[in-house]
Amino acid sequence: MHSMTDWSKVLEVFGSGIVGVYLVMILLQLLTQLSTRIIDMVENGKTSGDAAPQPPGTDVKGKV
Amino acid sequence: MPELLAPIAGNVWKILIAVGDTVELDDEVIILEALKMETPIYCDDSGTITEIRVKEGDAVNEGDVLVVIG
Amino acid sequence: MFGIFKELIVSSGLVSLTGGNLIMWLVAFTLLYLAVKKQYEPLLLLPIAFGILVVNLPLTFLMEPEHGLIWFFYHYGIENDIIPPLIFLGLGAMIDFGPLIANPKTLLLGAGAQVGLYVTFFAAILFGFDLREAASIAIIGGADGPTTIYLTSKLAPQLLGATAVSAYAYMALVPIIQPPMMKLLTSDHERKIVMSKLRPVSRLQKICFPIISAMTIMLLVPASAPLISMLMMGNLFKESGVVERLTKASSNELMNIVTIFLGLSIGATMTASTFLDPRVLFIFFLGLFAFVVSTASGLLMAKFMNLFLKNKINPLIGAAGVSAVPMAARCVHKVGSEANRRNYLLMHAMGPNVAGVIGTVVAAAILLKNLG
Repeated sequence: MHSMTDWSKVLEVFGSGIVGVYLVMILLQLLTQLSTRIIDMVENGKTSGDAAPQPPGTDVKGKV
Repeated sequence: MPELLAPIAGNVWKILIAVGDTVELDDEVIILEALKMETPIYCDDSGTITEIRVKEGDAVNEGDVLVVIG
Repeated sequence: MFGIFKELIVSSGLVSLTGGNLIMWLVAFTLLYLAVKKQYEPLLLLPIAFGILVVNLPLTFLMEPEHGLIWFFYHYGIENDIIPPLIFLGLGAMIDFGPLIANPKTLLLGAGAQVGLYVTFFAAILFGFDLREAASIAIIGGADGPTTIYLTSKLAPQLLGATAVSAYAYMALVPIIQPPMMKLLTSDHERKIVMSKLRPVSRLQKICFPIISAMTIMLLVPASAPLISMLMMGNLFKESGVVERLTKASSNELMNIVTIFLGLSIGATMTASTFLDPRVLFIFFLGLFAFVVSTASGLLMAKFMNLFLKNKINPLIGAAGVSAVPMAARCVHKVGSEANRRNYLLMHAMGPNVAGVIGTVVAAAILLKNLG
């Protein structure tokens, strides 16, 4: 069974796997944080902007 | 008046006390059910139960008031 | 009269029974017992066990290519990769990514636990498995049934029964497997850490998350597309709130239907000739090893993150980075509340838990790309 294990391939799979998983997850983390920040800004902007006239304020709440 | 808040969202599984009961710090007051797991909620204060704001089967959110202790 | 009897017996399966069949019956009965009496993942183990039983009744030809009933289920459902993505659709329609969006750092814990998977890959090669088999065994550590089945059916279909059964069996055993490792790698002080309340997550954020992550993950790792696309669409169904019928159909009816075919087909791959191989014991051992190492690497990742974080996280939640939703999160909660009865880690552990699902799929897709 041990005949010919291609150790360079093993190392490649091992390394690229770990690096790949971390890369994807870190990027996803950054994008999630970024989108949260943008959405916070949009939502807070809307509610504070609509604080004066009443009807649109309730409209925003219904939508978001 | 101290209030006992729900630390996690879930359903009220069992209420172990009634209005007028005296409770001690760390007594088990309510059992919440979340993700099919029973989680006991312990009392933060000693005193008498003056009000129970939930009933068995209610869905509660994190931070909701469960009981008021006088 | 005697002739008819003789004919009946000769044409029956009885004369064709082998010792291997009898052993497989025992395996089936054991799994039936675990499913019915102990309720270990009964939704899957019950059809799997019954599949094992019927396929080991000789001359039924249920798995005969182009003829057998269960072969058609297997061929169209699993060989053609239809069922695992459909399960993911239902999973997506049930999962709440809220705790993950509230605390995106936990995505790193989902990655941390996958390191254990690659360690197992290494170990399996040392045990003499070839690269494709080793990858299929390692993915057991991701603690995710559909992903394990998806990868194994592509890389090493001859191992499908063993990897699937060990993935589901160990998932049911999470409350026994994880706590010793959790206690070994964390101090009492660390287990007592109470985490600050999760920030509220708005509906818009929950709608954006599946879209953003589907695009990000599939652009980076296109091989993950079948599983990730279905998972994220199911989640979008749920979070959009406008297609309740589709959400329900995905998470209930469709999920239940495909679960029947999945379990039955997996069980039916376990004929005596494929399953009674000493290597199957190694697979069960390595599967357990994978679970333990993945738990450890998740915990260590959490401790590593704590070196840099001002707001310390409770390192126990790293153990939830192996997927096993929600068993691992429940387990974290239990161990945490044993150390400090006012520690309610359940929702905090759900973040890494669902991140683990994403992490396992990404890891599987990268293995598939490199070895497929």
